[in-house]
Amino acid sequence: MKELIITSIAIGVKSLVFIIGMFLLAAYLTWIERKFAGHVQQRPGPLHVGWHGLLQPIADALKVLTKEDIVPQGVDRFLFYLASLLAFVPAIMILAVVPFGEPINIFGYEIKPYITDLNVGLILALAFGSISIYGVIFAGWASNSKYPMIGGLRKAAVLIGYEVALGFAMVGPIMQAGTFSLRGIVEAQQGLWFIIPNILGFIVILFAILAETGRTPFDVQEAEAELVSGYNTEYSAMKFGLFPLAEWYIATFVLSAIAVILFFGGWNGPHIFGALSPFIWFFLKLAMMFMFFLWVHWTLPRYRVDQITELAWKVMLPLSLVNILVVAIWIMIFG
Amino acid sequence: MDLNAISFWVFSTLAVLSAIYVVFGKNIIYTVLSLISTLIMVSGLFFTMGAELVGALQILIYAVAIVVFYVLVISTVPQFKGQATDGKYMLLSIPVGFIVFLELAYVSIYGVWQSSTGIFDEKVLSELGNAKAVGTMLFTKYLFPFEVASLILLVAMIGAIILGRKKEDVQGV
Repeated sequence: MKELIITSIAIGVKSLVFIIGMFLLAAYLTWIERKFAGHVQQRPGPLHVGWHGLLQPIADALKVLTKEDIVPQGVDRFLFYLASLLAFVPAIMILAVVPFGEPINIFGYEIKPYITDLNVGLILALAFGSISIYGVIFAGWASNSKYPMIGGLRKAAVLIGYEVALGFAMVGPIMQAGTFSLRGIVEAQQGLWFIIPNILGFIVILFAILAETGRTPFDVQEAEAELVSGYNTEYSAMKFGLFPLAEWYIATFVLSAIAVILFFGGWNGPHIFGALSPFIWFFLKLAMMFMFFLWVHWTLPRYRVDQITELAWKVMLPLSLVNILVVAIWIMIFG
Repeated sequence: MDLNAISFWVFSTLAVLSAIYVVFGKNIIYTVLSLISTLIMVSGLFFTMGAELVGALQILIYAVAIVVFYVLVISTVPQFKGQATDGKYMLLSIPVGFIVFLELAYVSIYGVWQSSTGIFDEKVLSELGNAKAVGTMLFTKYLFPFEVASLILLVAMIGAIILGRKKEDVQGV
């Protein structure tokens, strides 16, 4: 019994640290995105709250939290509340299987920078990522309104296509590493990064992450010009805030981490920063990956919804299958 | 009680409760929601038994890939149609349900009886990992059923493509 309590407390504290850290990080990711978007469009971005708008995320959070929380008439109240959580919780649950580095020793305690290291980690990450689809569909349905409904259905159609391509594109690195464990995949890349034979898979994953997180070339679910704001049109205050927080920031961040682990060697890198070098390498790669998505988001125009699903089934799925063939031949030749 | 036993009871209670709502619930969107809940709880049961691979695939395939199509269809059905009931289906469903129940009971009891005879005991599994054990069995002992299943899926896929083809394409051929 004592052991049980200690285990649960340890897991609880660790999860809490991860979740709070992710929240704070996500808040400042909004600042980075707004600054970046501003400079892409030749304007300065947030400037007035704090030095170069550094306190802007706190002001935003206060505003969103204290705003009046309007629930429109005719919505299905229970589902309306549930949907915002259904979109948010799975996105943060992926964190449970993403490792941020090797265990390190600080003052004699072994600190593991991950919550669990399951040997099916990657499948579980994929599963949690796809559960968040229900948040969007139910948000659309519960709002009892045309635009959210269309937005939710569009998002579902896009996700079904890209989820399949994403799964197949991940097969290449799994074949090379011989394990589903994300730590195992990083350890297998100490020599050569998996990007080398898996370049096609990486391209597919880039598209899939953009589609999955609803960033611009694929943001048909909320296409402002057509659908007001898509599936979250009827939401307000913090319930509204949860959707972009989950999709645009937490999901993008976590999926970028998975992409770095799969293709860019995770925290492998020369030990030039001392004991912290695995973390520095990992977050450097992660930041570059994240900025790449921001760059795409604020540069490209939007696809049409039928073009997106067509691209998923007719281009991305065959490409990921070709990637499996290429990797299989690579493994046969180089072992 | 250790953590495994507690989570077993939590997961199985929630699974049974949400399964009961799937059967008796009136609002179809809530029933499909509790169907998702049932499937996720069953996946939790797999995790408590140490079958992580099956648990993860349960979420990925059943709770998402399959049920999302139910949700897509149901969420576009008008509400009054979703709440209509028809007595004659009840008459049909009771005997069919009973037969399915008998089959499931037989399979479960057979499975319990068989489980102690295989070569994969806990020690082998922890050494080999779930994915390798499943893969080995799938591609040696169960290779033929596996290939037959994939052939059936291929046929179904071709059928779906033919059904989904646009009308003018048919005239063109």
